[in-house]
Amino acid sequence: MVNKGETLGIVGESGCGKSVTALSVLRLIPEPGRIVSGHIWFKDRDVASYSREELREYRGNDVSMIFQDPMTSLNPVLRVGFQIKEAMVAHERFDNKTADERVVPMLQKVRISDPKERAKNYPHQFSGGMRQRAMIAMGLSNEPDLLIADEPTTALDVTVQAQIIELLRDLNRDMGTAVVLITHNLAVVASLCTRVIVMYAGRIVESGPTRQIFNSPQHPYTWSLLQSIPRIDSTQHDKLLTIAGLPPDLSNPPPGCLFHPRCRFRVDRCSKEEPPLEEVGPEQAARCWVLMKNALAGAEPVR
Amino acid sequence: MTRGTLIYIGQRLLLITLTALIVSSVVFIGVHQLPGNAFLTERRTNAAAQAALLHHYGLDLPWPVQYVNWLTGVLHGDLGESLVNRGVRITPLVLREAATSATLGFWAMVFTVTLGMSLGIVAAVKQNTLLDYVASFCAVIGYSMPSFVTATFLVLLTVTGFYAWTGGTIYENIGWGKPEQIPVPAISLGLLPSAIIFRLTRASMLEVIRQDYVRTAWAKGLRSRIVVIRHALRNALIPVVTILGPITTSVITGSIVIEYIFGIPGLGKEFINSIANRDYNIVIGVFTFYAILVGLANLLVDLVYPMIDPRIRY
Ligand code: SF4
Repeated sequence: MVNKGETLGIVGESGCGKSVTALSVLRLIPEPGRIVSGHIWFKDRDVASYSREELREYRGNDVSMIFQDPMTSLNPVLRVGFQIKEAMVAHERFDNKTADERVVPMLQKVRISDPKERAKNYPHQFSGGMRQRAMIAMGLSNEPDLLIADEPTTALDVTVQAQIIELLRDLNRDMGTAVVLITHNLAVVASLCTRVIVMYAGRIVESGPTRQIFNSPQHPYTWSLLQSIPRIDSTQHDKLLTIAGLPPDLSNPPPGCLFHPRCRFRVDRCSKEEPPLEEVGPEQAARCWVLMKNALAGAEPVR
Repeated sequence: MTRGTLIYIGQRLLLITLTALIVSSVVFIGVHQLPGNAFLTERRTNAAAQAALLHHYGLDLPWPVQYVNWLTGVLHGDLGESLVNRGVRITPLVLREAATSATLGFWAMVFTVTLGMSLGIVAAVKQNTLLDYVASFCAVIGYSMPSFVTATFLVLLTVTGFYAWTGGTIYENIGWGKPEQIPVPAISLGLLPSAIIFRLTRASMLEVIRQDYVRTAWAKGLRSRIVVIRHALRNALIPVVTILGPITTSVITGSIVIEYIFGIPGLGKEFINSIANRDYNIVIGVFTFYAILVGLANLLVDLVYPMIDPRIRY
């Protein structure tokens, strides 16, 4: 679903299956997890059919990934420069010498100051933001087609968050690497991604171009998510909407629409049949029987 | 090696010296409070000869004076003369025996670390397979067998067993001095600690394998060998190295029994003999050298530490 050079955001509450989706793309699901249904296609091939060696070549070379917690994602006993170099040498795309020479420019690219000295440092000598930059440098060192960033800014300070997002945007533009950004933070999506997928309980409930989704969300879940962001232009009296309840237990999902126990717009049908993902506008699709345009018909437009 | 490391080593050596001094002083004073002396059992000596002997060793002086005399000697590196074998200087004797014990201890540690770690890694990587179960089961046995029991079994096996099976071509020739006489005592000494290291390595590997940075290593597309050895193992070794200090100490003290069983002329054997002979001067010397040996071994272990974990600097 990701096109070449695209930026896609996957949004949802924690525990809704975003990270698992991302890990599945690299087949990194910890035991005993398995991909039970669905396929992951990369350049017209099913990733599940890859042999061990193919899988190894694909990881970090075609698709690379950066993780949520930069504090624990780098190996504490190896030098940062070495960890970046290692990613390059693993795929024989660069020989030892070229890989060595590429480390410093890569660090420079992710805007780490004094990259030459920093390459010799160990992770504990880096700040959180710098570690995430180093992770990005590592991820991009093989010039992959796709970079998956799983909550890359959640563990960081707000100011650092903005810098990292900006960095990802610039790198996407300059290097043409497609970026999939997984987050629960809609503001982050808005500032980086051209397209959004909203997930709920492991399912896609809505997808479409970012602007369109923000302007006219069709799924009640997306709508509620947008309502729960504080807005600078809202008056003081507007209360932030919260979504009551918790995401469903996926081992024992509710019948019908998975969102119905928490949905304020549900109709009878919702608890009986699960709605399909259907086109609701240009390039926009939603999984709902009611759709916001009907739910709010007559009422004031949301935003 | 940085300047900081050298300073650290210097400090530690100073501490070891101090410890040795305190240990020997305590033993000296303790031993001199005991009733009797080395000459009481020698019936052939008459009272006059006894007095002459006591005088020769300065034992007729009040003990504080003796202590000062002895301390002066120690500070010059002289631990005195054997009470039983006249004319035998203790320092070179104990030095030689310490070297023997250190050799045995070294090989025991090599055996312990190699066996414990490699099995620990394999068991962790192949968790919940037959191999893991067998190794873990053996570790429990190894864990609960004191070294003298292991030693007895090994002696039985390698002496009579091997002799019978190979028609007398290959069997253990108990003793010391030839390289082929090292393995059996070294294994007897190292089996129990290797079980400890096995369990620790396995547990620590299992924990590390689940760490984020190992997932990163997989995500980078590294070969599994590199992920396991370079990324997982090096981190898993950190707690294992921590325990090497106490284990080294227990190997050194454990050698007392093993040396006695195998008739190895090391500190341990001397320790037992000298106590039996009431050769107090040697007892003190042996104690002192044990203190030094334990101190040095632990220092060595501590120096390995920063090599594995860059976050540690002295
Ligand atoms: S299908 Fe019904 S319950 Fe589900 S989101 Fe739409 S309105 Fe709500």
